[in-house]
Amino acid sequence: MRRFTRLQPLGLRARLTLSFALGALLLSVLLSLLTWNLTRESLLRQREDSSIERVLANALTLRRSLGGTSDVASLLASLPTPTGAELALLAGGTWDARNPVEFAQSDVPAELFNQVAAGDVATVRTAVGDTVYQITGVPLPTVGAQYFEAVSLTDISQALDGLTISLLGASAVTTVAGGLVGFWASRRVLEPLRNVGLAAEAIAGGQLDTRLASGDDRDLDPLVASFNDMASALEERIERDTRFASEVSHELRSPLMTVAASMEVLENSRDQLGERGQTALDLMGADLERFRQLVEDLLEISRVDVGAVTLHLAPVQATELVVQAVGATGRGSVPVRYGLDVGNAVVLVDKVRFFRAIDNLLANATNYAGGATGVEVSLHRDGDGDEWVRIAVEDGGSGVPPEERDVIFDRFSRGREGGNRGADSGTGLGLALVAEHIRLHRGRVWVEDRPDGASGARFMVELPALHAEGEADGDVGYLGEDYGLDEVTGETPAVTAIPAADAEPGERQPATSEGRSGR
Amino acid sequence: MSHIRRGFGQHEGVGTRILTVEDDERIRTAVKMALEDEGWQVDEADNGEHALELFTATPADVVLIDIMLPGIDGFEVCRAIRRASDVPIVMVTARADTHDVVAGLEAGADDYLTKPFAPKELSARIRALLRRARTHDPAGTHLAFGELEIVPDEGSVLRNGEEVHLTKTEFRLLVELASSPGRVFSREVLLERVWGYGYFGDGRLVDVHIRRLRTKIEPDPANPRHVVTVRGLGYKLQT
Repeated sequence: MRRFTRLQPLGLRARLTLSFALGALLLSVLLSLLTWNLTRESLLRQREDSSIERVLANALTLRRSLGGTSDVASLLASLPTPTGAELALLAGGTWDARNPVEFAQSDVPAELFNQVAAGDVATVRTAVGDTVYQITGVPLPTVGAQYFEAVSLTDISQALDGLTISLLGASAVTTVAGGLVGFWASRRVLEPLRNVGLAAEAIAGGQLDTRLASGDDRDLDPLVASFNDMASALEERIERDTRFASEVSHELRSPLMTVAASMEVLENSRDQLGERGQTALDLMGADLERFRQLVEDLLEISRVDVGAVTLHLAPVQATELVVQAVGATGRGSVPVRYGLDVGNAVVLVDKVRFFRAIDNLLANATNYAGGATGVEVSLHRDGDGDEWVRIAVEDGGSGVPPEERDVIFDRFSRGREGGNRGADSGTGLGLALVAEHIRLHRGRVWVEDRPDGASGARFMVELPALHAEGEADGDVGYLGEDYGLDEVTGETPAVTAIPAADAEPGERQPATSEGRSGR
Repeated sequence: MSHIRRGFGQHEGVGTRILTVEDDERIRTAVKMALEDEGWQVDEADNGEHALELFTATPADVVLIDIMLPGIDGFEVCRAIRRASDVPIVMVTARADTHDVVAGLEAGADDYLTKPFAPKELSARIRALLRRARTHDPAGTHLAFGELEIVPDEGSVLRNGEEVHLTKTEFRLLVELASSPGRVFSREVLLERVWGYGYFGDGRLVDVHIRRLRTKIEPDPANPRHVVTVRGLGYKLQT
């Protein structure tokens, strides 16, 4: 399945908020436009209605008076008009305005002249300079004249401007309010989803009995119910798998027990066997051990698979841990090197599983590369400033070709010599278990070339460092701190420091398992 | 069941009786032969009821109990024997489940082994248990703190002047902690000194035994005053 990702995909919440805001904006703009237009129309009609009566009355007065006095100017001045109104009389081609500067014949649009000439009372709105006027024309056919009155509409346009600002403000407020409602609503809507997410996280983290509380929301109840059903099915299945592994474990271990005990009885009377019998006994013993290891590894890996592994984590000083782990494998002298910088680094480990991981790495070196040549502990700081303890297990074999570096940690992967097992005594699960165990510790494993250029492989284990320097005095277990290392006898692996500018050679002597038998 | 308390003064090897409770006949026979090769006398029982009858008739020096038994299970057999005796008990389990191991230790077992074990490993465990069973340390310090009194040369602990019945393992654990009061003992150290384990010992052995020890010697086991936990480090004895 392909997934298309947009450049900047918005979250559901942002999209909901945006939709609400846009909806509010659209609605408020629509309503504003409607309001503005209705107001404008009603204001103008009102103005028109109020002025037309007056204009007609004035025209009547003019028609009556024009016969007598011929002083048009005083006649115009005598007519009642509201402030800002201009009057003019066009008689016999002569334009007589009460205020000729403000109201010229050219200010009147031609279409009004035409309409009035046709004998109609007409009104137009037109701009004269910066001001909008409503001009009404009345034909006075009996006296052969036309009367024009212009009323300024400035007050109306000012009122409309004010309305525009109010409506814009209201729209903005509505938009913001819409966005806020969207934000709040999306939180309400997403809250159950967030709970689902938290529950899923808890289940993934191993709390298999996590369930969602069913609310009284009938829209959400199906989701809650199906989520809980899924969680129950998962829990049941994991329980069944665990039970199965446990039963398989019992069924496999019991016959092995009989064989192991019988082997020892045979071993005790070894002298009574002939040479061929003794060789057969040795072969059986070696493969019994391999079979036992295989069963252990299979059971352990299936426990990892069904998530039935409980880590008994304890904070331990990294160098101490590695030195002890190498010593505990009893694989003879493998030098452990570390610089002073790693001295106080602490890792959180399940001691038994970590020891097994180191044992498996050393066993891998023994089986495929003639034994490990050295183990190195170092501190690594990544780009985020997080500190990691790196443990490198080096061997002097032929190395691991790049194309096999990923698959080498797969189960039953045996690299190039897959078909040719020779005297290989591995189970094929050792490195896979290392990877699983280290992954459980939130670390990672990989294999690389030796940095010194020599032939051989360098298996790397990286674990998160727990404390910064100086904090290690607190709650940290020092494995074997009380063992009295002065009593250690027997073979002691060499401990050398990685050459570093300010590094002093590590002082802690590793104890070997042989050396510890004194107690 | 009659209450049998007996000393463990026998010599290791000849005369040491081991009772194995195991329902799988082949395992039972093979383990019996391997243990007999070590010079021990082995009594067999194929179920819990039979085991309890046998133990009542002829008490053993060490009891080996398989957890999965028909009828009354290994935990119950362990508890029944523990009620009557402080004989060292080793639980044998075919499952390394945390639950089984802890439940076995809670039922009163001193140690446990996971099948398939090498009989030599079992022999080593048995020897360690027998050594512990015989340990009366005349050189040990006679220590009294609060209402408690440890009398190492008698192998007994008195609380308000009355003897507290500790198993040998619990006693060894207490004496070990009492060897330097106030000092913190890590689980590893205790595993090595009390059980004879190396690196791969199971810290739960220590934890469960400490818990049981507390129920016997602490006035309030939930808030221990004498055997206290030092988080992340181990345990220490407060006087």
